[in-house]
Amino acid sequence: MAEIRKVGVIGAGVMGAGIAAQVANAGVPVVLLDVVPDAAAKAVEKMLKADPAPFMSKRAARLITPGNTEENLDLLADCDWIVEAIIERLDVKQALYARLETVRKAGSVVSSNTSTIPLAKLTEGLSQGFAGDFCITHFFNPPRYMRLLEVVKGEKTRAEAIEAVSRFSDVRLGKSVVACKDRPGFIANRLGVFWIQSAVVEAFDLGIEVEEADAVIGKPMGIPKTGVFGLIDLVGLDLMPHVMESMVGLLPPADPFHAYTRDLPLVRRMIADGYTGRKGKGGFYRINKAGGGKVKEAMSLSSGDYRPQRKADLELPKKLKALLSGDDRISRYAWRVLGQTLAYAAMLVPEAADDVASIDEAMRLGYNWKYGPFELIDQLGAAWVAEKLAKDGLPVPELLTLAGERSFYRVDNGRRQQLGRDGAYHDIARPEGVLMLADIKLASQPILKNGSAALWDVGDGVACFEFTSKMNALDPEIMALLGKSIKTVAKSFKALVIYNEGSNFSAGANLGLALFAANIAAWPEIEQIVAAGQETYRALKYAPFPVVGAPSGLALGGGCEILLHCDAVQAHAETYTGLVECGVGLIPGWGGCKEMLVRWSTLGKLPKGPMPPVIKVFETISTATVAKSAAEAKELLFLKPTDGVTMNRYRLLADAKAKALELVKDYVPPTPVELSLPGDSARVGMEMAVDGFLRLGKATKHDRVVAGALAEVLSGAGANADATRPLSEKDLLELERSRFMRLVRHPATLARIESILETGKPLRN
Amino acid sequence: MPAYKAPLRDMRFVLYELHQGETLAQLPGFEEMTPDLIDPVLDEAAKVCEEVLAPLNRSGDEEGCTYENGVVRTPKGFKQAYDLFREGGWTGIACDPDFGGQGLPKSVNTLVEEMICASNLSFGMYPGLSHGAYLAVHAHGSEELKERFLPKLVDGTWSGTMCLTEPHCGTDLGLCRTKAIPQDDGSYKITGTKIFISAGEHDLTENIIHLVLARLPDAPKGIKGISLFVVPKFLPKADGTPGSANGVSCGSIEHKMGIKGSATCVMNFDEASGWLVGEPHKGMRAMFTMMNTERLAVGIQGLGLAEASYQGAVAYARERLQGRSLSGTKHPDKPADPIIVHPDVRRMLLTMRSTIEGCRALGAWVAMALDRQHHSAEPQERQGAEDLVAVMTPVVKALFTDLGFEAVNHGLQVFGGHGYIREHGMEQLVRDARIAQVYEGTNGVQALDLIGRKLPAHAGRYLRAFFHPVSALIEAKVEDEQLGSFVQPLAKAFVRLQQATGQIARVGMAKPEEAAAAATDYLRLLGLVALAYMWVRMVEVALPKIGSPADSDGFYRAKVATARFYMERVLPQSGALFSAIMAGGQSMMAFEEDAF
Repeated sequence: MAEIRKVGVIGAGVMGAGIAAQVANAGVPVVLLDVVPDAAAKAVEKMLKADPAPFMSKRAARLITPGNTEENLDLLADCDWIVEAIIERLDVKQALYARLETVRKAGSVVSSNTSTIPLAKLTEGLSQGFAGDFCITHFFNPPRYMRLLEVVKGEKTRAEAIEAVSRFSDVRLGKSVVACKDRPGFIANRLGVFWIQSAVVEAFDLGIEVEEADAVIGKPMGIPKTGVFGLIDLVGLDLMPHVMESMVGLLPPADPFHAYTRDLPLVRRMIADGYTGRKGKGGFYRINKAGGGKVKEAMSLSSGDYRPQRKADLELPKKLKALLSGDDRISRYAWRVLGQTLAYAAMLVPEAADDVASIDEAMRLGYNWKYGPFELIDQLGAAWVAEKLAKDGLPVPELLTLAGERSFYRVDNGRRQQLGRDGAYHDIARPEGVLMLADIKLASQPILKNGSAALWDVGDGVACFEFTSKMNALDPEIMALLGKSIKTVAKSFKALVIYNEGSNFSAGANLGLALFAANIAAWPEIEQIVAAGQETYRALKYAPFPVVGAPSGLALGGGCEILLHCDAVQAHAETYTGLVECGVGLIPGWGGCKEMLVRWSTLGKLPKGPMPPVIKVFETISTATVAKSAAEAKELLFLKPTDGVTMNRYRLLADAKAKALELVKDYVPPTPVELSLPGDSARVGMEMAVDGFLRLGKATKHDRVVAGALAEVLSGAGANADATRPLSEKDLLELERSRFMRLVRHPATLARIESILETGKPLRN
Repeated sequence: MPAYKAPLRDMRFVLYELHQGETLAQLPGFEEMTPDLIDPVLDEAAKVCEEVLAPLNRSGDEEGCTYENGVVRTPKGFKQAYDLFREGGWTGIACDPDFGGQGLPKSVNTLVEEMICASNLSFGMYPGLSHGAYLAVHAHGSEELKERFLPKLVDGTWSGTMCLTEPHCGTDLGLCRTKAIPQDDGSYKITGTKIFISAGEHDLTENIIHLVLARLPDAPKGIKGISLFVVPKFLPKADGTPGSANGVSCGSIEHKMGIKGSATCVMNFDEASGWLVGEPHKGMRAMFTMMNTERLAVGIQGLGLAEASYQGAVAYARERLQGRSLSGTKHPDKPADPIIVHPDVRRMLLTMRSTIEGCRALGAWVAMALDRQHHSAEPQERQGAEDLVAVMTPVVKALFTDLGFEAVNHGLQVFGGHGYIREHGMEQLVRDARIAQVYEGTNGVQALDLIGRKLPAHAGRYLRAFFHPVSALIEAKVEDEQLGSFVQPLAKAFVRLQQATGQIARVGMAKPEEAAAAATDYLRLLGLVALAYMWVRMVEVALPKIGSPADSDGFYRAKVATARFYMERVLPQSGALFSAIMAGGQSMMAFEEDAF
């Protein structure tokens, strides 16, 4: 199979540019062309400033070679994969394909990012060879962050071409590749647009207001709280008719989709008046700034006018089934929308996908649903759904009848299986190189476990330590079990991986617990928590076996400090890590200051002397800097240059395990270090710098207090260090602890913690 | 029982020496509140209470209120006393000067309230309820309502009530049924029955202003659908004098255990005209702004009655000759020694005294926080004061009334059989004190407020206002050569309190019933620690003065000796409370209901 070493992207719009950026994020050179001269270069410039950032590191932008399709088509000559992401017009696309034939190298793959044009149409009239190299790769916006990639194989597409693109997209771009059939809207949009349209039309018909709709067709169903109308505002009201039209034209007349395509005069008027959503003057929701105020308003579907936004004051049953069973207006609405959406999903096998797992994966990753439609059906019972559909006089999809009293998913002998169209259960195979803790948990018992953590055997002599506390917040129970785990692993395993499958690795210590303890002046208890964390992390660092941290998502505060104590880290590319303690008026107290000093002293490419590393660490920690990717984390030395990065979330555990096994050979625990710190002069220097920021209004009064404590630790001044008197790790830990304890008593610190807990926003006091 | 003497010496100690009351004058709006102004107020209040109110206490109890054809008569002498009280300006001492009040700090008013409650609680109910009505209208009424009602409430020509309870709804006010129908002129017609209305009807004032909780026609169900209305007995005429009757009538008065001079009325509202106070459906919120002040005032009732009982008990213990001291005869010239020589009598007297003086100090601390909450120019100080008031309000209400009831029982016990008969007035104090544990939210409800609302709020921030000063004092003084022996017991009890707090916070999140099972014991534990904290601070002030000319009357020596008793003989209860709390609620909740 040909390996993809260089990629070309044509069309520097939002999708094309974003796809190019993700290829660059993978470290692969990419050519980005647009029909408009300079458009590609400008798109790269724009992306460098965008938030959320399409690039994982600004350095990645250098891998993009911009150009235009008139003059630079030859740049595609050595590309192994060419992605077309231009305007959705068949004639323009086909004309481009014809030109590509003249430049692309033999065996290269061409794919279209189309969302509306069937593959069969795209290749109509093109050469047999082109059709063999062609497929559809449908990315979701934004391409860096949305993990779904729908791939459509044409009748003539070579299997190797699909394999090459799929493998590259999976391993290098980090996508979950879902095979789709050449049907309109593929999977996610076919079902997603049906769901949106049904929710909108039914809301008009049943007299539901937008706040009510979003409160129901949202969290209770495991759907993001933007709901339906909030989502339309996000993607743009004007986009909906386009997508719909294309599907209406392509779907057979019997398709249930047609029931929900009717013209809605209010929506038409809104689009005409420029109320196209967040990109326009507002959508179903808007902020009315008339009169100098900022009033949150919502469109009343009944009156067609904006009115102040109301909190939907619904007392919804906790169980989804109860919500759908009710007899009131809201329950009827919930059932009308979800019942038919689930029925439509059941109809899409085999119409759009081969199996139910593909549809669930597409909705989870393409629409951020917590549960796919078949997982929802399993919650409700297929027979229950079927019966309720029949009662409403609606057609019952074959697949539901087939399932009957059975569920679509089951666990058999520790293996996850799905119900096939043949009526039998089949194993859900993971791609090669994918190891999921969820699967291991189905098939085995934990070696150790308490209320906040567990230790698992992940095979080949490797153990996995998992946080299980709420939000994976670090608490004394985690420390206790980690301490125990170190002893167990030393006895019975070769290596340890610290990993979990939560949406965030850990956002740090349990601040609610800490704040309550501080409010009741439980100082000895707090100091004990700090000391226990220091001792546990120290034991982890010097354990007689290799430890590999494997974070994904947030790894902040104590969650970052645990990584700093690992021998190596295998990070998911989307890891956001940093020592953010100063933001809540504290300093890192679990060895974070110490480890960062060690790193910058030994690995940092800095001028000689004890001063530069101290200054660098001070800047990083005092500003609570968070790396917005694994790549950025390396630049900040939260990760070492030798640490690994995994692009695909699903591959993280396997990669981390491999890394751990690599280290097992001839493993020698690190030797304790002594640090030569500059002492009081450096402390004074850092404090003066903060005083400068204070005068400029860039730092607050309490920033000054916190930075002062941090400076005492990092300079070693708090322990009377100087160039002739190096400090041991123990000295530094004591210093961290004493300054942490001083800060945690400060009312301004407690006010900061309270603000983060109650509003999620930092307090600048 | 001897005549009541207001404990002015101790009050001044608490106000000035312990809590630096002279600093009140530094708060905006209190510039004139210097000792020069405050001291004469306290002296005058003492005189009115001792000479006018106290003499009517027992006669008022004997006679009680009478009801005839909708008319309620207060006991003989109440009307004259009220006129004197009113003319002396006492109805408005803590009211806004903009409406004719004297604007005295809450901390000073609390001391005056203690004297009134000690001398004649039944009488005190009338101006007390007026003050509650005043506070609600002042905080939430429109300018028009304030102009119409406040000056008369402040000068006492009109009185007020709080009409909350209905026959089927007490603690759970969400069940309230009284209706309010909007009228074209912006007023409302109020219809319904309210019970247990103190001062609902009487002959002391020319008009009575009722504050009534009722439901608007479009009100949401439950507690979020209750609105507050002002409903006068007589509709004021344009010139401000009472005009025609307003469909408000008293159906009967209750026959009660105590406070018999206070009329407790069934009030019927029959399409009575009323005006909305604050926003529609936000009546509970309007009520709660005055609740802190009112609950503090009820706590002070417990304190006042305990003081009255203590004075009686000490006098009796000195006079009553029975038996001989176990350590040898003390008064060979007399047929027997006075009972004050006996350990058990001393136990009772010192239990009373140490809780009374501790509560007086604590009450003043919380009252001062109320003053700082409303007057400080510093937002942080206001916040801290508000937090302290929030956490301490249920404690003051429940602890003071529980300890107060225990104290008046001790007082009766010192008298033996003579305490049980009416002649000496000691049993009246027991009967009068009992209601304070019940009304204004039962003490059980106070405990639930503490653990359910106050403890978890903002991850324990309210607690900080109390726990941090205690912790700081312990850290600073635990090694102190002189103070150390007082601080150590505080430190021990404080650790128990911290552990119990942590336990309740942890368990309470998952199992609210477990926290509720600990509530009453927890409130008492926190209260005992709070009193211990006050005692250490009082010792800190008193110790240096022992032996100095300032201590010629032995005041400071006695203060320190009382502190010693509290630390050694009262505070150890914290250990038992701690054990009970940590044992959890299973023994109650697992008990089969049929087996009761």
